[in-house]
Amino acid sequence: MYKQAHYDEDFLNSFNTGNDFYMEDVEDTYPVSIKRKKLELPNVRSVDVSRHFTRLSEMNYSVDLGMYPLGSCTMKFNPKYADYVASFPQFQNVHPLESESRIQGTLEVMYRLQQLLVKISGMDFASLQPSAGAHGEFTGILIVRKFFEVKGELDKRDEIIIPDSAHGTNPASAAMAGFKVVEVPSNSKGLVDIDALKAAVTPRTAAFMITNPNTLGIFDDQIVEIADIIHKNGSLLYYDGANFNAILGITTPGIMGFDIVHFNLHKTFATPHGGGGPGAGPVAVKAYLKEYLPVPVVVMENGKYSLYYGLKNSIGKVSSYNGSYGVVLRAYAYALKNGNNLSLNARRAVMNSNYMARKLSASFEIPYKTLKKHEFVLSTARTGRRALDISKFILDYGIHSPTTYFPLIVKEAMMIEPTESVTKKDMDYYIDVMEKALEVPEDTLKSSPVNTSVGRIDEIAAARNLILKWPDPFENS
Amino acid sequence: MTETDEILQYLNISSDEDLFADIPGRLRVSMDLGSPMDELSLINSISKTAGKNIPPEMNFLGNGIYDRFIPPLVDEIIGRNEFLTSYTPYQPEISQGILHSLFEYQSIISDLTEMDVTNSSMYDGFTSLAEAVRMAYRINGRNEVLVPENIYRSQLSIIENYVIGLNLRIIKYKFGNDGLIDMEDLKSKISDRTSSIVVANPNFFGLIDENSFHVSEIKKDALLITYYDPVSLGLIIPPGGYGTDIAVAEGQQLGIHMNYGGPLLGLFSFKKEYVHRSPGRLIGLSNDNAGRKAFVMTLQAREQHIRRSKAMSNICSNQALLAVASLAYLSIMGSDGLKKIALITMNKSKRMKSALSHAGVAPVFNGINFSDNLFYFDRQEKLAANNISGGIRLSDLSDYQGYKNSAFFSVTEKTADESIERLAGIIGE
Repeated sequence: MYKQAHYDEDFLNSFNTGNDFYMEDVEDTYPVSIKRKKLELPNVRSVDVSRHFTRLSEMNYSVDLGMYPLGSCTMKFNPKYADYVASFPQFQNVHPLESESRIQGTLEVMYRLQQLLVKISGMDFASLQPSAGAHGEFTGILIVRKFFEVKGELDKRDEIIIPDSAHGTNPASAAMAGFKVVEVPSNSKGLVDIDALKAAVTPRTAAFMITNPNTLGIFDDQIVEIADIIHKNGSLLYYDGANFNAILGITTPGIMGFDIVHFNLHKTFATPHGGGGPGAGPVAVKAYLKEYLPVPVVVMENGKYSLYYGLKNSIGKVSSYNGSYGVVLRAYAYALKNGNNLSLNARRAVMNSNYMARKLSASFEIPYKTLKKHEFVLSTARTGRRALDISKFILDYGIHSPTTYFPLIVKEAMMIEPTESVTKKDMDYYIDVMEKALEVPEDTLKSSPVNTSVGRIDEIAAARNLILKWPDPFENS
Repeated sequence: MTETDEILQYLNISSDEDLFADIPGRLRVSMDLGSPMDELSLINSISKTAGKNIPPEMNFLGNGIYDRFIPPLVDEIIGRNEFLTSYTPYQPEISQGILHSLFEYQSIISDLTEMDVTNSSMYDGFTSLAEAVRMAYRINGRNEVLVPENIYRSQLSIIENYVIGLNLRIIKYKFGNDGLIDMEDLKSKISDRTSSIVVANPNFFGLIDENSFHVSEIKKDALLITYYDPVSLGLIIPPGGYGTDIAVAEGQQLGIHMNYGGPLLGLFSFKKEYVHRSPGRLIGLSNDNAGRKAFVMTLQAREQHIRRSKAMSNICSNQALLAVASLAYLSIMGSDGLKKIALITMNKSKRMKSALSHAGVAPVFNGINFSDNLFYFDRQEKLAANNISGGIRLSDLSDYQGYKNSAFFSVTEKTADESIERLAGIIGE
């Protein structure tokens, strides 16, 4: 049985053990008109800082501890060689405004990853600038916008179509770039409803934004027909790369007819995700959209790498400097290490997903009875038990819960993505625990979890009585 | 029988190829992604690539990203696998470590800036600034934003991209000969159409801009957005001390390696009355069913996964790990440490101005500089020849039309006095 640590850990600003970071006294001749009156950072010895975070870390679940099958979020093992090479001082200590002649190694990594992303996506050019998947989506939609602006059609093309099974970031990114979002329903197979799509496509349509395989883990084999419908209308087809790890080396967005792709490097290439970030969301496009990419991109001529700013219709900048280089470097290491095994990883991930789906179908309803790709969605609705309660119950067994209540089109949804980095034993254990959740008394479920650092949390109270910072220890003194 | 065979047998399929039977043949591709490498070869190969980088002998590059001292404990903390390899804390009961840390990050940045609320991080400083402009527009619906005329080109480009779908006009206000905000010009441009006013302190010339402390007195009903330098707040009046509504910054200097400019850390704070209009994730304090202190992601109804096209932002992945790094950094430094780093930085700037002046290279402004110092200087080839990084032209960073032949030399607490003397010696020759 699992037992997570619990510490009644104080806030750092209440430690008061005396800061011991030593610096010699320095001259201070600055006018009082620019100076702050008080600064009260935590006054704590570094040994206590170290222990504080060590204790906190023991109250945190991670991929390095066990299975983490967050559907749609792809949590796979993060190989340590990637972190190791990212810690090389020759890479870590490079300033973003450093002259190109001094950082040929840094630029070479970027160039090679750009080329690799182009190859695996079936696109023609890539930019590494976006900082996360959703940021890549926003960048892609800015490209769509600029494309129609240059064509003089922006006034007419103000809508983006998105399936109802899409990630929430898709409609949010489209809206952020000033487009109206039109949602199309999925059909009974969990795929794009072609008739509904045809009805939604109008002269106002700028783009259709989808992921394939979709969030139900199903490959939409109508994709060529969809691309045709979209392109005949003069619209663009956008690929959300969140699920790319399921098809890497097997098929490409390019051959499916997509015009723009973003990648989630932390999902497809196994870079650690740090409790919510950083990520990286490079964007790749077909040749005719190259001039719209954000700048700079890395180019190579006669073996020399340089940053290129000359793209004629570039959307400009979307992040401060040159993108999430630390993540790019880890992804590059992973890609180089795996080589052709990248597609074996995709196979393994798909195999594991199908294994779990088949096994769990004995106890849970799994809508859409087709082959799964990287993930699948089950519904707890007919078991009489809530997805929320089951997700809390399984925490007690030392495993992370799947994504719950997404996609929105499945009732009491649990979305499971085992990835290639789990073993059969891991999966069998998970399946056992999921089945056990249907056998235990309802009360046990409702009172779960009990073995985690804290028990079930009052989320409504947190929103109603908003406390977003620690108490001031000096307030009442 | 291998595990794979067992699973395939269970699935009743003969080869793993059949796992892709749903992908039509004409969509199948084959590609050569290279032979897999063993770990030793990989490390050797990437070491070789890293070796192609030539570190400068002296580095005076800054303008937003700085080579500051990082206490080794910071890397140790964020290198802990429990933080490093975890995901967004969607299951809070099993993720209290990262939630507690991010709550403390929100707290420490709120204390540092004297702002009410800080979210649990944005991508970087420039996107934070752009999101702040969007947030102000959501709050008051007005359609003009006033920005400094010397704003970095990349910053302006990001703002333009972020407001592309809004009915918002960007207007530039002027700077005086002292390098500080021209208050008369700014005042003349503020009207009931003004949604927000962006000020930078230190400003884009590198100066502590005392005029920025008085913008709130003339801003009428517009929102004041302050772009600040977090290390400078060890000494300087914080944004909350002069009526700032939304305070944003680049947090890289707080314990994060330069990494060629990414990943970075966007700091984002604001007054509490605007919390429901704010972008990004917020961690709130609550309690569990046994009454114990417990943390959760809160006000999620503002976010993309719930609100979809009506969300306050599209942010999903943020910079959680780097937020923890900055929290660790500030805790290790403490008030005294941060104050001294700010002072040393400013003293080095003074020293740099004096040394280069003596070498015949004049500073553009007389004011108080933080890290960045602007000089009349255009002999960049001399720097390259001497293995020195720095001397970034103002015109390379900004579309600002003044001070054509000027360049930046930046310092931090790591800049050795001898380096400043040597720089002066070389460019004075």
